[in-house]
Amino acid sequence: MSNYRCVKKGLPLLLSLAVTAGLFSGCGLRFGFASDPDVPGNEEGKAVIDTSKDDFIYDDSLRGTKITMLNSKAEIQVALEEMGRVFGELSGVSLEVIPCGDDTPYTKVINMYNSGTPPTLAILDLTDIEALSSEKALELTNEEWVKECSEYVMDFDSKVYSFPLCIEGRGIIYNKKAIEDTLGETFDPDSLHSLDDFRALLERLTAAGMETPVSLSMENWSLAGHQLQYLYETYDGTSDGAAQVTSMLSDGSISLSDYDRFDQLLDLFDTLKEYNVARLDPLGADYDEMAIDLADGKTAFWFNGNWAWPNLKEAGADAEDEYGFLPYFMGSDENDYTNTKIQASPSKQVMIDKQYATEDQQAAAREFLNWIVYSNVGQQMLVDSCDIIPACRNNPNEPADPLSRDIYNKIHEGLTFNAAAIVPSDHWKVLGDAMQMYLAGRSSREELASSILQYWAEQKN
Amino acid sequence: MRSKKKFKDFCIFGLPGIFFFAAVVIVPFVYGIYLTFTNWNGVSASKDFTGLSNFAGVFSDSAFWQSLLLTFKYVILVVILVNVIAFLLAYLLTRGIRGQNFFRAGFFTPNLIGGIVLGYIWQFVFSRVFVSIGDFTGFGLFKVSWLSDPNKAFLALVLVSVWQLTGYMILIYVAGFTGMNEDVLEAADIDGATGFQKLKNIIIPMMMPSITICLFLTLSRAFMVYDVNLSLTAGAPYGTTEMAAMHVYEKAFTSRLYGVGQAEALILFIIVACVSGLQVYLTKRKEVEA
Repeated sequence: MSNYRCVKKGLPLLLSLAVTAGLFSGCGLRFGFASDPDVPGNEEGKAVIDTSKDDFIYDDSLRGTKITMLNSKAEIQVALEEMGRVFGELSGVSLEVIPCGDDTPYTKVINMYNSGTPPTLAILDLTDIEALSSEKALELTNEEWVKECSEYVMDFDSKVYSFPLCIEGRGIIYNKKAIEDTLGETFDPDSLHSLDDFRALLERLTAAGMETPVSLSMENWSLAGHQLQYLYETYDGTSDGAAQVTSMLSDGSISLSDYDRFDQLLDLFDTLKEYNVARLDPLGADYDEMAIDLADGKTAFWFNGNWAWPNLKEAGADAEDEYGFLPYFMGSDENDYTNTKIQASPSKQVMIDKQYATEDQQAAAREFLNWIVYSNVGQQMLVDSCDIIPACRNNPNEPADPLSRDIYNKIHEGLTFNAAAIVPSDHWKVLGDAMQMYLAGRSSREELASSILQYWAEQKN
Repeated sequence: MRSKKKFKDFCIFGLPGIFFFAAVVIVPFVYGIYLTFTNWNGVSASKDFTGLSNFAGVFSDSAFWQSLLLTFKYVILVVILVNVIAFLLAYLLTRGIRGQNFFRAGFFTPNLIGGIVLGYIWQFVFSRVFVSIGDFTGFGLFKVSWLSDPNKAFLALVLVSVWQLTGYMILIYVAGFTGMNEDVLEAADIDGATGFQKLKNIIIPMMMPSITICLFLTLSRAFMVYDVNLSLTAGAPYGTTEMAAMHVYEKAFTSRLYGVGQAEALILFIIVACVSGLQVYLTKRKEVEA
């Protein structure tokens, strides 16, 4: 009887535990709703690094020094750890790579500062570097590598505080095979020179049976962080020009109705909306499904950047497939650089802490940056293990994945423009919401323009 | 001699607790209030005193007041639904129905799942499972993701919160029902009281201690909702489901306006403290003993 009672009492507990365990284990599954590209993705296919030739001169006095590096680029966490291990073996410096986890890079780094344990090196976004530069970051203006990547080095008040870790570019990704299979002819991406050409191609694809040739992400960071940023970056195709236009928007000296780029940007955005695979429910679009649709040839285009490769690869794309970038077409002027070039600029930056790090740690951190730039092993690992497009021209290694390779080639052919707008940290969120409303057809162009102007007017205060 | 012993007991049993409570609650709380009067950016070594400018920033932040209004709507719906459903289910589960222990455990299970995980599971359900069902059956309600429509996304938040919180409240109500004096109900039956009369005049007054606790817990949890909000909708579509706690976080950490965010957090705390305090005061007055 007592056993029966025991079982009777224990059963619900066991059942609830079983149900809970089931639910928790279910969470380990990939549901496919990751809404950002920061998904660790290079556990597989480890690159083979030749460590036999290494003529880098290591500073023996730094042996035994321990340094840490905060990594905000989650997809290269595994590769960076491996890089840290190899650097440690060769230099004697212990490098621990700390992932950001669920925090934003800035939140993580300030939490670490406030707890008195900041990382010696931190991979951060430009806006974060700007915020931390004067008080926390070691000045790197006189580092030797500055001359190797001079066009991509960011300076604040003529001082360099960060190393440009990588070049990232964005545009309209195409799947060449999907286009050729649908049209039954060879596709030459260089044959498109304007929005009109792009629209004509979309119409032909639709007529040939590809009902909705465009994948269009709905995430705020994509809409405002990447698409709307063209509004500033295409002012004259430079970072200074972007800063100029944001400043004019803040002080109200420019009106969007007089600024051609606004309508040009939205003309393309409207085109992408019209042919969007998720046009019936654009805000219900799933990021991973966008990648699957493009890889499967259900769609032919996806506005995104080279960081989308892990998602495409996971969706079945192969490194030998022909993917590449079309420009973000602005208007019908074939001579406009925006119709022939794609945006590519240094995104992630590495800063060195000057507040808590000892002199040895700072020296070891600088040695690590030099090792990435000048050592044969570091150069290889940066490109082959991390799948990064290096900002330093002395790195002879070419990226392996088709998206990065396309940007790499375009950089060397002069078909990119380097403009990075430094915008407030909530730009992607606040104006991302406004762009979502426009995407869903719940606001007009005028309302969107008004939201943008209001946002910038608030920045003046 | 006796007072010396009392002091010793206090040092052994009371002081450590007070120390840790002060270290993790009182000191950060007071420091937080101090920060609302500064322009600290979260990382800088310097903090300038800026008077009430952060509070002025709160009053000009229309999005905060919108999120607060939305939070009030959410709180009202969640508190009513959770307590009514939990009360009814607890009543049923103390009537000796077959498998009532199993049902109690079953209803409690969602409460064991963390809010973040719960939000992700339901995000998958609303945006993938329901949409697939809609595609398959042609049922209009599920044709598009609930999370892409402001009203349906809000409803989704309410549903998930109710689903999560009800189980916990059921336990408290079950404890209340179990401890209730059945003699009073029996006497009422003999006197010919109807079911509604028994509910109104006997059951609810005798359940008031449980109702006080459950209302307090649901009120405070609903006001401070963040985890489910973050993982289920993240404020989407276009910020229409951003509750007050999430807005405070975004203000402080995304917009990097720490002073304004901290001032908004303080205002939210005062509102929650007043509403919860009032609720406890009012419901305590209604408590009776059999």
